[in-house]
Amino acid sequence: MLELFHAMMKEEWRVHSTMFGSLSFALFPVMIFGIAFMGSFLVPLMQTTLPAGNLTVIIHASYLMLGIMVGGFGLLGNEVMNRRFGQASLLAYSARSLPLSEQFIFSNFVVKDTVYYFILWVFPFGFGYIVASPFTGVPLASALLLLLTLALAFLFGLCAVFFLSTIYARSKPALWLFLLALVAGWGGLAVLTGMNPALFFPPLLLNASFTWANLLASCAILAVLFGVAIALFSPESVGSEKNYRNSFTPLMQRLSFLPDPPLATKDTLDLYRSGSLVGQTIFSFLLPLAVIWFFLSLLGPYFPPHGLLFIFAITTGVIASTMYTWVTMFDTFGPYACLPVAVSRLITGKLTTFAVLQLLPALFIAVVALLSGEGAYLLPAVVLGLSVSFYAVAVMAWLAGLSPNVLVYDVKVLAIYLVLVGIVLTVFTAVAFANPYYVLASVLLLVPAWWFVQKAKVRWDAVDPAGF
Amino acid sequence: MTIVLEARDLSKTYGEVQAVDRVTLAVEEGALFGLLGPNGSGKTTIIKMLTGQTRPTGGTATVLGVDVTSDPVGVRGRVGIIPEQETPPSFLTAMEYLRFVAAVRKIPDIETKADWWFDFLDFADKKNVLCKDLSRGTRQKLMFTQAFIHEPALALIDEPLINFDPIMQDVVKDYLAAYVKKGKTIFISTHILEVAEEICSGFAILHKGNLLHTGPVADLTGRGEHLPSFFLSLVRKDRHA
Repeated sequence: MLELFHAMMKEEWRVHSTMFGSLSFALFPVMIFGIAFMGSFLVPLMQTTLPAGNLTVIIHASYLMLGIMVGGFGLLGNEVMNRRFGQASLLAYSARSLPLSEQFIFSNFVVKDTVYYFILWVFPFGFGYIVASPFTGVPLASALLLLLTLALAFLFGLCAVFFLSTIYARSKPALWLFLLALVAGWGGLAVLTGMNPALFFPPLLLNASFTWANLLASCAILAVLFGVAIALFSPESVGSEKNYRNSFTPLMQRLSFLPDPPLATKDTLDLYRSGSLVGQTIFSFLLPLAVIWFFLSLLGPYFPPHGLLFIFAITTGVIASTMYTWVTMFDTFGPYACLPVAVSRLITGKLTTFAVLQLLPALFIAVVALLSGEGAYLLPAVVLGLSVSFYAVAVMAWLAGLSPNVLVYDVKVLAIYLVLVGIVLTVFTAVAFANPYYVLASVLLLVPAWWFVQKAKVRWDAVDPAGF
Repeated sequence: MTIVLEARDLSKTYGEVQAVDRVTLAVEEGALFGLLGPNGSGKTTIIKMLTGQTRPTGGTATVLGVDVTSDPVGVRGRVGIIPEQETPPSFLTAMEYLRFVAAVRKIPDIETKADWWFDFLDFADKKNVLCKDLSRGTRQKLMFTQAFIHEPALALIDEPLINFDPIMQDVVKDYLAAYVKKGKTIFISTHILEVAEEICSGFAILHKGNLLHTGPVADLTGRGEHLPSFFLSLVRKDRHA
């Protein structure tokens, strides 16, 4: 067990460090540490308008969301892993040549990924807060407790989505039944207690008042979710040889209004047949946003009127921009290398498919606006969400080309991304708080977005296509 | 004769590794040219450079009159390519993949052409199966089909017979021989020397990124030599040099 785990850790390090250098990858957690360390000094300032408890809610929600977004291991059948890693020959495929079961290798893979995310994101953030605590007056015990509960929040998101995605891979009706039961349970809790169910999130309860019993209960829930998910996981069957009718030609005719119908058709079929369109929509979009809505709604009283809707629209925009990874994760440049297709054309194609997928966030924001009784602000909220999404994806395409999932761990890439996107988010949050209708000006973000896309095409055409 | 492929001092370095070192060669129209070398000699890197998949770090190359550095997409538009490793897209069927290739390359009448290839390479029963579910051999048949379905003037193939069974190897060898008789050109890389001697008209030997020899196969056989023994003696000599 340990040998395989150790080798996988080394392998993961080399996959990233060979892409953009050991130093750039090693500096990634250092940067997260730096952000947390410096951010800690803002806490006393923020506490003048926002109680400390609510700030804790925001940070926990962020880590819960991070766990949710990386936890869809149940969707990782062999084929998706193969496409995710390109032609690289990884230990994850060792079952074919070593006397190890798929289940055993997969559980090592999941644990390895979890430990990696913990080292890259969770620990540096908590550690930054701990190191800053003597200067900010936060008791060391509170800082240590925060590190523990953030780690738990991350693991809750990861294990819950791992569990749900495994159910989804086994039986879609079972997932819907399970989600219905969950929603009914949450609803019941809210009605019975008259409180937002997000307040019953175990890491938050633990952070509010630490008890060993609560900690053990949290760990037990995590262990059950993880154990059941591993037991239910089944690698994708190979060689099923199911026959499919020709969907390419009719779909290409239907998509003929797009700039590059063949590429858009291929992407659409990839998304649909891999099960990724529905799977990603649930686990990487709807679920994180539903959770965020619960947590953000706790902060409603501290925002200006209508502020919650616009904060949510911005959050939706940022999450919607990650749909670019949905259309790039199945494709290395390899299959196009024998065709007259430039990287720039592929980027345009992927962004076109991405643009079509933006119907989802547009609808989602519209529904939220209507359900929250703020239909009057539907249009500015949708415009803001989509503008943020297009701007953020253009920045990502410029920085990472066709490999956003990998290059995001290049510290330089992430730092530039955070600065360029962070400035825009800050400005438009302020604008939305000043006057909701002013955010219609966010449509101007399409200008820098277009500029970044043009820069991306020139930049990535000039380098050898990534493959590892 | 017209030169369809020409490399001058073509070089490629990866960090401190010199994968290809100032290789100069030319291939005439109608040739079946074999690039021979042991594993790691730089054959695949040369094919990648000649097809615009990777940029040379030194030297120049033109393929069908198109510069591979300044117009790599133009090169790939004119030639047929079978890479060593790449597989067709997972979630398209074999037939859909050919439709995709036809749409990108703007090949007319794809149904008739594809059906001919499905019959010729004996995989018509797999035409509606997703590429991810195809065996390695069938994937290779599909990659072979996509490289020749537009009847390019020049095809570049990395290890043409890999993954084929002996019967299919025979079919493919016959096809390649007939293809060059029509005036088209084929550039293959292989380390299977017997195959190269059997089907190639010209050859080049590569070792550790250096070109050791280039010339017609007939020159060798004319003086009673065989390609495998010539290759081995040359490479061994270079190894000890």
